[in-house]
Amino acid sequence: MKKQTTLGDQLRQRGISRRTFLKLCAITTSAMALPPTMIPRVARALEKAPRPSVIYLSFQECTGCLESLTRSHAPTLENLIFNSISLDYQDTLQAASGTAAEAARETAMKQFYGKYLLIVDGSIPTKDNGVYSTSAGRTNVDTLKEVAAGAAAVVAVGTCASFGGIPYANPNPTGAVPVSDLIKDKPIINVSGCPPIPVVITGVLAHYLTFGEIPALDRLGRPAAFYGESIHDRCYRRPFYDQGKFAKSFDDDGARNGWCLFELGCKGPTTHNACATTKWNGGVSFPIESGHPCLGCSEPNFWDGGGFYRALSQTTAPVGMWAGAAAVAGAAGGAAMGAAGRRKRAAAKREHHVVTAEELKKKGKEGQS
Amino acid sequence: MSDTTLKNGVNALVEQIDSRVASFFNSCVHCGMCADACLFYTETGDPKYTPIHKLEPMRRVWKRNFTFWGKLAAMVGLSKPITDEELKEWEPLVYDSCTLCARCPMVGPVGNDIAYMISKERAGMVAAGHAPPGLKGATVRAVEIGSPMGATWKTVQAQIRHTEEDTGLKIPVDQQGADYMAIMSGMETVNFPEYLGSLARIFKQAGVSWTLCSDAVEATNSGIQIGSPDIAAELVQRIVDGAEKLGVKYVISPECGHAYMAIRWSGPNLIGRPYKFKVIHILELLDQLREEGRLRTEGMEDERVTFHDPCQLVRRGGVLEQPRRLLKMVASNYVDMPDPGVWNWCCGGGGGVSANERADALRIKVFSRKKAQLDAVGGVDKLVTSCSNCRIVMEDAVDAYNLNFKIFGMAETIAAHLPSDTKTAESGESSS
Repeated sequence: MKKQTTLGDQLRQRGISRRTFLKLCAITTSAMALPPTMIPRVARALEKAPRPSVIYLSFQECTGCLESLTRSHAPTLENLIFNSISLDYQDTLQAASGTAAEAARETAMKQFYGKYLLIVDGSIPTKDNGVYSTSAGRTNVDTLKEVAAGAAAVVAVGTCASFGGIPYANPNPTGAVPVSDLIKDKPIINVSGCPPIPVVITGVLAHYLTFGEIPALDRLGRPAAFYGESIHDRCYRRPFYDQGKFAKSFDDDGARNGWCLFELGCKGPTTHNACATTKWNGGVSFPIESGHPCLGCSEPNFWDGGGFYRALSQTTAPVGMWAGAAAVAGAAGGAAMGAAGRRKRAAAKREHHVVTAEELKKKGKEGQS
Repeated sequence: MSDTTLKNGVNALVEQIDSRVASFFNSCVHCGMCADACLFYTETGDPKYTPIHKLEPMRRVWKRNFTFWGKLAAMVGLSKPITDEELKEWEPLVYDSCTLCARCPMVGPVGNDIAYMISKERAGMVAAGHAPPGLKGATVRAVEIGSPMGATWKTVQAQIRHTEEDTGLKIPVDQQGADYMAIMSGMETVNFPEYLGSLARIFKQAGVSWTLCSDAVEATNSGIQIGSPDIAAELVQRIVDGAEKLGVKYVISPECGHAYMAIRWSGPNLIGRPYKFKVIHILELLDQLREEGRLRTEGMEDERVTFHDPCQLVRRGGVLEQPRRLLKMVASNYVDMPDPGVWNWCCGGGGGVSANERADALRIKVFSRKKAQLDAVGGVDKLVTSCSNCRIVMEDAVDAYNLNFKIFGMAETIAAHLPSDTKTAESGESSS
């Protein structure tokens, strides 16, 4: 087992100057939507923090999330922090294999029991006793339950771990479930996205190291600092939406002029994520900026939303006879109410009482007496 | 007595609930965001000042008369009709703690125009006899004497004489066919005579053909403030008759927020037809003259100057950049307060609040919001505004808070910098 070096030691060994380090702390602090006065505290905490032990379990996933994290533009804080944690088990990255790899996991679990962070990537199959995904002869369900028991907190990375993702999509042949369906007694942070933005996971780690607790979460268990606002609300194409200027196809004038992609199926209005502000690849771009509608990948059930290129305002199910009849009845009811309202107003107009100066004078005196 | 007045009031509310009001009530999501936009709430912390709460009587009338569930509840006796006591209880909320500044519609997520609704609710309140005595008095004077401040044409004539002596310029009166007809708020006639003199000097330099109208000088519309559409229409009609009789092309709204809103936006709806002339605010005209090169100034002030945006000009009128362009002609040290332009905070005395003595203490209290804005820029030497009502309200508050700066109108600030050759033009010459 490696000696407990601090993150500050690590960074210095890697030739990172203090100025650079403080700059990175400022970036993280602002990304986490913390006040600037917190920068020194973040810096102090990060510098002193022992390299936290992290166990990273991969289940039903495509490794896209790990690619997103490890291949983010370098050298950034994401990379630095990610390289500076004590990643004691990651079956894709580690050199060890077989029983040696499992032994590393067991040692870390024993040494840091109750303190290590568990990162989970991928959904967990439960159908047919979980046989659809196994590792070292054990089902994912068993491994997750065992490792989670000694974890301080669980970070569910990616939409599969957070909400089930693609394996969970209809008809869900493996009975896949998200982490939160199986683990009920630990704090779970959902870092959703297919894949998630790298700075989000490092932000969560930095927050955990600084304050010793998990950041404020939204109603779906996602860090509110990153998932608090919708893509739509922060989208640079929003003014076109407000003006009713929409691209109708991918090669029309609207698309060329950079108008809103709502009618091409953009899920920005219902998707909460930081893509429109943080962007991807070091702030280069994000899907909408590249001309493609948002797929809504950080929301639950995004794969079953009825087609990526279908506008949100269209229904996903065929509109049957009943819906038509209901619409007709509703319209007729509305018209009747409207007519009744108009009659009422007209009657009130007929009984209109003219306020005169004489009257005001009289009541003015009454009011004063 | 109160039975008939209550019936009149409820009838007026039903009459005022148009499709806009109905859809606003329908779409209210009860988010409460309007509270933080209202200076009466932010400065007192009292939730009763939440803007939408001020509309409760009207909301109940809407629900009972215009919604399915409200009608059903009324039919089976589950909801009680509004009472005279409730209207009385709401009177101070509707008149004393709302300046119709329209800052709350700016923040609401569904765009409900609460200020529009309050002005409609006032129609019901005044018909039911529940309007503040001070505002009633002002309205009576506006109808009977011709000005809420009690200024008659004789008062104006005296001011014209003084101004002609001071400036050596003839003030044109009842000039048939002049391009512009100027009107004044009662406040300008009584408290700020420098406005008329400034107009005369600026128009002389710029060669503007203008006139006053002896039948229609008063711009303040107390009918709008008290909420009576009948009286408001009568007061607008006086100006329309005067302007159309003289055949002017434009009527110049003076440095007054609600007068501008009344004559420019509400007027044609109140009298039920379009005007035969256009309405332009004095700031718009001055800026237009500046752009055409007809308004020239000399000398720059190096005092620290800021501008208070009158609510009705920025949020209702779109007169935003004009005052800043004009001030930068004459002030080298111009600074904007935080929340400038459309987000500016009200002086606390608009919408008839300053005519309502009962609201004086509250009005002074909520000025702390303006004070905070001024403190944020580290204080100023001079505050310019373009509404004489804002000006008098702020002068009052500056005394109460022991602040140390002077307040000026825009026209006089510009007029003070006219090149000296036009300042002392020979007397007796007509400027039209």
